[in-house]
Amino acid sequence: MENTFEVKKDGSVLNIVLNGQLATANAPALMEELNKYKDQGVTKVSFDATNLTYIASSGIRVVIFAKQKLGGNPEIEFINCNDEIFGVFEMTGIQNYINFIKK
Amino acid sequence: MKTLHFQSVKGKGPEITEAIIAEEDIKSCKKEFFALHLVIEELAVNIADYAYSDGKDGYLDVLIDKTPEEITITFKDGGTPFNPLERKMPDLDLPLEERGIGGLGIFLTIKKMDEVKYDYRNRENILTIKKKISNE
Repeated sequence: MENTFEVKKDGSVLNIVLNGQLATANAPALMEELNKYKDQGVTKVSFDATNLTYIASSGIRVVIFAKQKLGGNPEIEFINCNDEIFGVFEMTGIQNYINFIKK
Repeated sequence: MKTLHFQSVKGKGPEITEAIIAEEDIKSCKKEFFALHLVIEELAVNIADYAYSDGKDGYLDVLIDKTPEEITITFKDGGTPFNPLERKMPDLDLPLEERGIGGLGIFLTIKKMDEVKYDYRNRENILTIKKKISNE
């Protein structure tokens, strides 16, 4: 599985599809991509983690970045996050600020 | 005991991580693999990015020792003396809006492993992690 991502803006929702890993090799590129949507009225950032198998702290930083730097304090959503990835969020205590959804 | 030697580390965190987790001793820890991957990445990336400063590059030796009960991984570099365990830990009580992003990696390392130890000996940073393994 390739460690890729796709970002699409749909109205005020930023939809991000994650594949494989979100780690040091690709997290900075995703952060740079997200930065293009700064102050553009994003109300929700939705990460589709259906095909995500691994996240490192660099990936967690992307989520913190989305919450803090896009402007307007958007809602953060994770779709179909696996148990181990959820465990990392839980350990860092930020799971309470993310809506985890099963689809 | 298996030793991996990387002669040059600068900017190579991701590829060093991939090389270490491809080792059979690591791959065979099925239940612990996610945690080991996470921690190996945090430590390898830290060494690759920060151990050798001022434009210098250097080596990293990774020693892997697996017994039926536990796996021990030791990271040795010849860079600037630095004890990551003395880093300020992130404040987990802060809401997401106010979170800093520093110290998250070493925090996860300590949480995920059963033992994390730092030593500076013979001009080397020596970081050792241990994780108990289940034999399923």
